[in-house]
Amino acid sequence: MKLTIERAALLRSLGHVQSVVERRTTIPILSNMLLEAADGRLNLTATDLDLAVVESVTADVTAPGAITTPAHTLYDIVRKLPEGSQVELEYRGGEQRLTLSAGRSRFVLACLPREDFPVMAEDALPHRFSLPVADLKKLIDKTRFAISTEETRFYLNGIYLHVADGKEPTLVGVATDGHRLARVRLPMPLGAAGMPGVIVPRKTVQEVRKLLDEAEGSVQVSLSDSKIRFDFADAVLTSKLIDGTFPDYVRVIPANNERLLEVDARLFAEAIDRVSTISSEKSRAVKLIIDTDKVTLAVNSPDSGSATEELAAGYSSEAMEIGFNARYVLDIMSQVEGDTVRVSFADAAAPTLVQDGGDETALYVLMPMRV
Amino acid sequence: MSIRLLPETTVNRIAAGEVVERPASAIKELVENSIDAGARHVDVVLSGGGIEYIGVTDDGAGMARTDLELCIERHATSKLPDDDLLHVAFLGFRGEALPSIGAVSRMTIASRAKGASEAWQIGVDAGKRIPAKPAALNQGTKVEIRDLFYATPARLKFLKGERTELNQAVEMMRRLAMANPEVGFTLTHDNRVMLRVPPAPGDLFDQRLLARLSALLGADFAENTIPIDAERRSFRLKGYAGVPTYNRGNAQQQYLFVNGRAVRDKLFVGAVRGAYMDYLARDRHPVLALFLDADPEDVDVNVHPAKAEVRFKDSGVVRGLIVGALRNALAAAGHQASTTVGAAALGAIRRDSQPFRPSEAFAEFHRPLPGGFGETPQTGFVYADTPSARIESAPSSTAAPVTEAPQEARFPLGAARGQLHETYIISQTEDGIVIVDQHAAHERLVYERMKKALTDKGVARQMLLLPEVIELDPVAASNLADRAHELAELGLALEPFGAGAVVVREVPALLGDCDIRGLVRDLADDLAELDEALSLKERLEDVCSTMACHGSVRAGRRLTVTEMNALMREMEATPHSGQCNHGRPTYVELKLKDIERLFGRR
Ligand SMILES: Nc1ncnc2c1ncn2[C@@H]1O[C@H](COP(=O)(O)OP(=O)(O)OP(=O)(O)O)[C@@H](O)[C@H]1O
Ligand SMILES: [Mg+2]
Repeated sequence: MKLTIERAALLRSLGHVQSVVERRTTIPILSNMLLEAADGRLNLTATDLDLAVVESVTADVTAPGAITTPAHTLYDIVRKLPEGSQVELEYRGGEQRLTLSAGRSRFVLACLPREDFPVMAEDALPHRFSLPVADLKKLIDKTRFAISTEETRFYLNGIYLHVADGKEPTLVGVATDGHRLARVRLPMPLGAAGMPGVIVPRKTVQEVRKLLDEAEGSVQVSLSDSKIRFDFADAVLTSKLIDGTFPDYVRVIPANNERLLEVDARLFAEAIDRVSTISSEKSRAVKLIIDTDKVTLAVNSPDSGSATEELAAGYSSEAMEIGFNARYVLDIMSQVEGDTVRVSFADAAAPTLVQDGGDETALYVLMPMRV
Repeated sequence: MSIRLLPETTVNRIAAGEVVERPASAIKELVENSIDAGARHVDVVLSGGGIEYIGVTDDGAGMARTDLELCIERHATSKLPDDDLLHVAFLGFRGEALPSIGAVSRMTIASRAKGASEAWQIGVDAGKRIPAKPAALNQGTKVEIRDLFYATPARLKFLKGERTELNQAVEMMRRLAMANPEVGFTLTHDNRVMLRVPPAPGDLFDQRLLARLSALLGADFAENTIPIDAERRSFRLKGYAGVPTYNRGNAQQQYLFVNGRAVRDKLFVGAVRGAYMDYLARDRHPVLALFLDADPEDVDVNVHPAKAEVRFKDSGVVRGLIVGALRNALAAAGHQASTTVGAAALGAIRRDSQPFRPSEAFAEFHRPLPGGFGETPQTGFVYADTPSARIESAPSSTAAPVTEAPQEARFPLGAARGQLHETYIISQTEDGIVIVDQHAAHERLVYERMKKALTDKGVARQMLLLPEVIELDPVAASNLADRAHELAELGLALEPFGAGAVVVREVPALLGDCDIRGLVRDLADDLAELDEALSLKERLEDVCSTMACHGSVRAGRRLTVTEMNALMREMEATPHSGQCNHGRPTYVELKLKDIERLFGRR
């Protein structure tokens, strides 16, 4: 194998795939990435067995071939090469060494044969649809903060993607950790009808999101009930899905919360952030004291003191007090785009609904804290 | 002082002290009699923890009037036909139980023999016979005991509270039910059903046993279990052992039956510990139910008055059999242990020494990816045995490399430089190194935070959007429900959910996104061991360690440098954080000069 490629192009592709490779795997080949050169293109593949990314980039290939080499080392080297350099990669069969030259630098990297590199089976993925990049970005950004990290509830460790029938069928993304829930609804794309509900693992979500940063137009999504694939212009990400049942979340979304608080989104977020500084606890609680056309935020920490701040708001129901984990509120507020946020309550012990004044498609449910 | 023969009532009372020490042992004797009589259904009714009333009804062979008159005589038994104590085919053989119980309580026995047209009833009140009279009863026997130990007030004083006695009774019934899956059992206490298992279906003992075990230990036991079947000499070991990841906070759910009798045996406990040693942390215990069949010549069942212990002629063989059978089964089921959620850790450790083995987990990776160049044949592909669980959670024994400058080294506990074995944080101080036991440290922090919260304003509770229903056995569920009020003060709000389950609605906010199921199971185990007179607050340390255990930081979790430093900064800010709740240190410090001494530099 022999090829020349521009540093910038190589770096960009390596950047996309290298993070799939686990830093501390005990299995040597899994720290490697697969390089395959043929027909004027270099394909880079990385996998952790649950997830695989293949990225393709143009290169001047003089001798086709394939080899695997340590992913993070290769990435770090290319990163440190001077801008604008041309990188030459050469692998001669039998040596188990990959030579990388650029300018006056020369690196010899250990290799493992490509035959040892695990390749994810290509299953039939009967459901296919395409999603605008912006939509998929939104779906991920506005839900992923609510994904659970608790491994014993593995079925919550991802975004649940399913279609909802109705007058206007939608493609829905939902995530919850049992304390809060985030849901985004998109118009159902053509071809998604009849797809199974699937749970896309957190790491996959992260990697897809990274690829989306530089993507344009739309992304092809194909899936079965056990795998999902995202086709980008120059990259393909295939991942296993979480084998589990997502809870029936619809019933926890309150439908009749009648006490409606409308408040300036930015001021609200800033004020919560400010008052919660007083407490160092991870689970700091902020109390909302709501009265006609105002809301007072209060944090009380026996260690370090207390803080209150009053905000003007729209509210005309009965006065009430309710507590929340401040971090949960901030997580939601950081996704709110509109100028106002609409928070509706039933009472201090029931699920609270948060809606973005600027985005009808997103919805958040937050369970209060008892303080 | 002259020697005299004791009157029979006194003899019986002394025997009673040995045969029946508490309601549970009386229940055991009666139920064993029912089983010996070939009963298909045995119903046990209690009130006042069994101290006030025990009633056992069976549909077994029953007794004719003459037998009924005889059965309350000492050493009257139908079960030792040829005086051969070696070949004991029934659970009973001494003819001691009924007279002993009759000596210390008010007992009535009503029975109708198979094929007989009438039933008879006889009574004993503190050893005094009450003459036989006709009774109304279907085929079978009904034994009722009122006011156990009323005739021996000293013994009565030794009984624990009603709840403890009831727990013991339920535990006893569970053992009996496990050993006899073809028999249906119910246990009711003050109109509350504590246990109800129908006769388990199936032609094979193994089938019935598995059905019975999942009825008693929870349906998930059956899903997380490995069948055991091994032989050595005249011994045969069968049963089911839980996979390592299905573990508990105490060793209560480890059952051994020798020739159909539940026994408690140090040898067994030790053997189980030995077999699971490599798979489980020291304070975690597997769940298992094993049945040992032995030639009566090799095991003596007559060494304990309540038959709770046995003696093996050659205990080495038995120990070897148990350890070997469990080890083999665990090794063979290695992949099962590691695919169980959240615990890929266990099986993976031993993989390091032999990294190249073919594996099915890899089979599906053989074909090329879409977009790949398929021209190279993908043959001869062998690979390390990898759990299909996420690689992320596989442990590595290498230290996490930390490169940034340790400006934090001036803090007392220093700057985190890495994590070893996902358990220990290594940090650099100005004049030495510190090793922190992350689990112990976190436990202590949770404890201190909770204690503080309790005195300040109560533990903040995060309400759950998705309440978590947790299946338990009825006793555990009712123990938890009884303490619901106290648990709520500690931040855990739960309520009963049917007979064998609780639903958790609120969790201590400081635990974050935690393993609620594991937490509640372990708390239930704690409660079972806890003296009922103690309040949970008095045992706050235990409760907190259980909670901390399921909070965000445990041993075996990889921490980022930021997390490690944050943990240490919090330790510095928290009083008493140098010791865990059990008095072990949470960190140790080595000064440079000590290290230099180690290397002979000083
Ligand atoms: N539920 C029952 N159904 C039929 N017969 C019974 C029942 N309970 C007791 N008997 C008869 O009464 C006898 C005496 O019972 P008891 O429990 O005192 O002694 P055992 O079972 O023979 O020996 P052990 O003292 O070891 O239990 C038994 O041998 C049996 O014949
Ligand atoms: Mg008996």
